[in-house]
Amino acid sequence: MSGIELKNVTKRYKENKFEITALEDVSVRVKAGEFVAIVGPSGSGKSTFLSIAGALLKPTEGKILINKQDITDFDEKQLSSVRLNQIGFILQTANLIPYLTVLDQLLIVKKMQGSVSKEDKAFARQLLKDLGMENKENKYPNECSGGERQRVAIARSFMNDPDIILADEPTSSLDTERGHEVVQQMAEQVKTRNKAAIMVTHDERMLDYCDRIYRIVDGKLSEDVRTQKETN
Amino acid sequence: MKLAIKELLYSKGRFIMIGLIIVLISWLVFILSGLGTGLSKLSTGVLSETEYAGMVLEEGAEFSLSKSSVNRSLAEEISEQDGVTDTAPINLFRNSMRREGTADSDAKITDIVLIGVEPDSFMHPEIVEGDDWESSEDNQMIADASLKNEGYALGDTIVLDDIDKEFTITGFTEDQTLYHQSSLFLPMDDFQDLRPSQGDAEDEAETVSGIIVQGNDVDLDTFLEGETDVEFGTKEETINAIPGYVAENATIMMMLWFLMIISAFILGVFFYVLTNQKTNQFGVLKAIGGSNGFIIRSVISQVFILSLVSVLVGIGLTYLTVIFLPEAMPFHLEVSMVVIYSLVLLAISVLSSLFSVVKITRIDPLTALGRGE
Repeated sequence: MSGIELKNVTKRYKENKFEITALEDVSVRVKAGEFVAIVGPSGSGKSTFLSIAGALLKPTEGKILINKQDITDFDEKQLSSVRLNQIGFILQTANLIPYLTVLDQLLIVKKMQGSVSKEDKAFARQLLKDLGMENKENKYPNECSGGERQRVAIARSFMNDPDIILADEPTSSLDTERGHEVVQQMAEQVKTRNKAAIMVTHDERMLDYCDRIYRIVDGKLSEDVRTQKETN
Repeated sequence: MKLAIKELLYSKGRFIMIGLIIVLISWLVFILSGLGTGLSKLSTGVLSETEYAGMVLEEGAEFSLSKSSVNRSLAEEISEQDGVTDTAPINLFRNSMRREGTADSDAKITDIVLIGVEPDSFMHPEIVEGDDWESSEDNQMIADASLKNEGYALGDTIVLDDIDKEFTITGFTEDQTLYHQSSLFLPMDDFQDLRPSQGDAEDEAETVSGIIVQGNDVDLDTFLEGETDVEFGTKEETINAIPGYVAENATIMMMLWFLMIISAFILGVFFYVLTNQKTNQFGVLKAIGGSNGFIIRSVISQVFILSLVSVLVGIGLTYLTVIFLPEAMPFHLEVSMVVIYSLVLLAISVLSSLFSVVKITRIDPLTALGRGE
């Protein structure tokens, strides 16, 4: 199975003398072509969940499998390579590099993998075109609107042809209309390119585009009743 | 590399500021270096421009030519010692000169160093303009080209203070200055006739200031054992004995290296602040899989490009400055020095960015998520 699986993941933080459990015995499996949403209020453990799924943070207990490969005990260098080659991140505020043009934002991913080929450039252009950004290739982030920036971030996350797409509140800085557009396009890309995608959000309006919805409260994950039947 | 250049071009303002600091520092470094070399040439030129192993001088003269007197007949014996390839007696005293026929006017008097050397020895100055001494004629001089700044020209007839003779400048040599004064070279035999007589004339004709020795691994131990009243000083010792030279040189060198150290700190702080500002950016690059190596390479190549361009501009400005410096200014920029100081400045900038490198490795990619949970 290609995709991502978290098995009985628990994460505890030590703060002063108190121990805080950010995630408690979380298990979730997302297959290729599935678009899953994790919904919860702030402080519920959403970010911790995403950090662990995104190979940025190690769990206290439990296992993470990406394409059946157990990455739980990987060192920093190996995790970095997993992020580079197997995961596509869409960050909260797009987080683009200010001095790179829209096209270069995508190509830098290839650059970090080694070198940029002609095919890579063509692929980057195709991604931008799919997201309706074909005329913005040479714009800098500060010349783009919030929605455009977020679409560049989506394109960037697909650039390394990852198996997993992780999105952290992709709509938080957008109005409703733009939010719908962005998530819709994200869903489209996930389906057509057959990726396993997880979107962390607190924005209930965006859930219609997702195959399954999980709710996270105080570090505990449970599947939403609306989608529970379908998967079983 | 490309990433580095793209950022340099995008954030021009910020990088021009840092670049400007490097330009100013390198400019000042090169000017100081040129001034240092120029001054030390002015002070030591006659000796430092000559290849020699050392000098035989009077014992107790503290290796200073101006305080020493030895018998020139010693040269023959010295020539036979181990490692000695050649010897050349040198005799000098300070005097002043003026143009002939201006004794009663307000015409300028110039301080000079009169130097007597054997015409066929290695101390014979190289002629850059005019002619060598004619052996058939008396009272000819080869002058250092710096005297041209004082208005002297080829063929000028000059008189020396307290010496009842007229001399002609037949040729010019260059970089032959000593004690911050221009030199006038005479054939040794003519020179020996100049000194005001103080008794034993025969003995006096044989007395010179010192004997310059050329050769490798010169071993004068056996010779010195057999002689009283003389000692051997190496080239370095004899140059350091020139009055004021060490103090002058040390001051300029101290300024230079302090400047380098200060610039290292200023640049280090600048790069560190810059890195700090970009913590989030580096976090994002790390989150999407950028390795430490990739980011560090990018930062260092950026510092390197910036410093290289700035130092090159600094060199350009320095050479431009030289054009506007007055002729008489003791300024001498050596290409080798420019190269060395450029490399030192480049190394300093790159090293000073290493603080930032440590910082970069510590950036947690989690910062890209933009919230602390």
